[in-house]
Amino acid sequence: MTELGRILMVEDDPNDVELTLTALAEYNLANEVVVTRDGAEALDYLYCRGSFAARVGDNPAVLLLDLKLPKVDGLQVLKQIKADDTLKLIPVVVLTSSREERDMVASYRLGVNAYVVKPVDFHEFVNAIKELGIFWAVINQPPPGSIRKGDLG
Amino acid sequence: MIAVTRRYGIAVGGVAIALGIALLAQSQAIHKLEFPLLLMVIALAVWHGGVGPGILAVVLAGLGFDFFFAEPRYTLYIEPDDRPVFVVFLAFALVIASFSARRRRIERELRQVRDELQVEVTERTQQASLLDLTHDTIFVRDMSDVITYWNRGAHEMYGWTAEEAIGQRSPQLLQTIYPVPLDEVHAELVRADRWEGELDRIRADGTRIAVSCRLALRRDERQQPVAILETSNDITPRRRREQEIRALNDDLARRTTELQATNKELEAFAYSISHDLRAPLRHTAGYAELLQRNAAASLDDKSRRYLTLILEAAKRMGNLIDDLLAFSRIGRAETRKARVSLEALVKEALAEVRPETDGRDIAWTVGTMPEVYVDRAMLRLALVNLMSNAVKFSRTRAQAKIEIGCAEAGADETAVFVRDNGVGFDMQYADKLFGVFQRLHPTEAFEGTGIGLATVQRIVHRHGGRVWAEGVVDGGATFYFTVPKSWREPKG
Repeated sequence: MTELGRILMVEDDPNDVELTLTALAEYNLANEVVVTRDGAEALDYLYCRGSFAARVGDNPAVLLLDLKLPKVDGLQVLKQIKADDTLKLIPVVVLTSSREERDMVASYRLGVNAYVVKPVDFHEFVNAIKELGIFWAVINQPPPGSIRKGDLG
Repeated sequence: MIAVTRRYGIAVGGVAIALGIALLAQSQAIHKLEFPLLLMVIALAVWHGGVGPGILAVVLAGLGFDFFFAEPRYTLYIEPDDRPVFVVFLAFALVIASFSARRRRIERELRQVRDELQVEVTERTQQASLLDLTHDTIFVRDMSDVITYWNRGAHEMYGWTAEEAIGQRSPQLLQTIYPVPLDEVHAELVRADRWEGELDRIRADGTRIAVSCRLALRRDERQQPVAILETSNDITPRRRREQEIRALNDDLARRTTELQATNKELEAFAYSISHDLRAPLRHTAGYAELLQRNAAASLDDKSRRYLTLILEAAKRMGNLIDDLLAFSRIGRAETRKARVSLEALVKEALAEVRPETDGRDIAWTVGTMPEVYVDRAMLRLALVNLMSNAVKFSRTRAQAKIEIGCAEAGADETAVFVRDNGVGFDMQYADKLFGVFQRLHPTEAFEGTGIGLATVQRIVHRHGGRVWAEGVVDGGATFYFTVPKSWREPKG
């Protein structure tokens, strides 16, 4: 897994990680993904510190964020990103099991760019991930300072 | 008449007696006694008899003196030298008369004052006995708190008789506990002439009593405070009720807190279900799907069927979780009630149910509907659930009939019904209809999670309404619910 992925995925559940990567693999997007397992690790990645101290300092093109995470939860990560001038341009997509209205409202209040409820049905799940991956990593023009396709060399 | 006779009798008799004594004395060679004796008689007549007898006494004394004692005796001739005697008689009579008049005036005034006093004493006595009649407690104390008046109400309330209480200092006798320092009470009394408050006291028998008391200050003519009038009522029962109400309120607050805690736990529980229960389900479905995709070719028919069943079960569980969460949300969410056109709401619900009616022949009948006072989103969900049910359970009919209408249910309620000509139900299971996960039909015949009617019931209950159903096996079913027509106090 490259450390220069254009998609930063924050997900603690290994099954969800595997299913998501499987879905993205069908569209050759799997190697663009960096997975962090909790909110603290995600922030380490973004700030190039801890185990990511050696990382080149470009931002990912999109952040796929689960809400229920160990240590620092998704909403806290979102809050921190949107409060930081160097990070707040990163598009953040909340990808969660929760249909709870308050999670949705809280996410949008904090400035999330999209909110996606993981469908139980696998077809729908694959479609959702595929469309997310293609839209944010390929179609969408990321803000300046992001890792662009082709940067990997 | 007797009084007049006596008054003039004094004059006549007195003069006669005086003349007799003087003559007797003269015969005994005691001279000059007649003059003072006659003066005495005149004084007596004027003093006791008044003007008339006075004049008579002066005239008779003059004549007697002239006849018996003035030279020449035994004639009525008056020597010029004797004239001053008559003047002295007259002057003396006048002086005594004036004294007498003054005395009479003073006497009259005294009598008047006495009469007035008597009237006032009568009046006061009556007032005091009136004060004794009242059930209110009234007593008076002077500025050093010594009790000077104590009515029957005070006796009844505090248990001390007037004889026992009068002369005692009231704070000690009644062991009064004031809500503020006594100095402040006195300061307020002197400032405003009044004070009101609630006191705790002890009765003669030692029991506690709470009183609501009003003090009024009495001042003398120099505006100096002289006495305090106190009226009071027993408020012990009211106090007790207040304490009971406070206890009930505390209990209510405690139970509300408990309920809030329970609600919070429920919310956390629902949240956890929403997050945590769905994830393994998604994984089950996901990996089963992947397995189906990757290994379908190498599996036999039986195994492929198992995979399909796993996927269907997962999907069904997903629906159950969603319905259950929606159901619990209805219990937790605030209701936002407003005046809503029921007719418009039925139309919206109908549009929502429409996709389920594809390929069906359904005759819809919608009656006229009033405005109701409800939470729009919730009531629409209830209507959708009932109409969707009607569509589902009339599926076996070639020509389904569904009727939605209203019936008057009371002054401030509307009863709404949804009737179908579907498979109906056995009335002996009617009470099971509205329970969560309760189903009267096998899933193979009619799909569903068994939460739809429970949701309807919960929505209706949250509006303070009732919900019930009538049905006949294979003869259709009618579901009724009531909702308020206008704003009303929430029940319970």
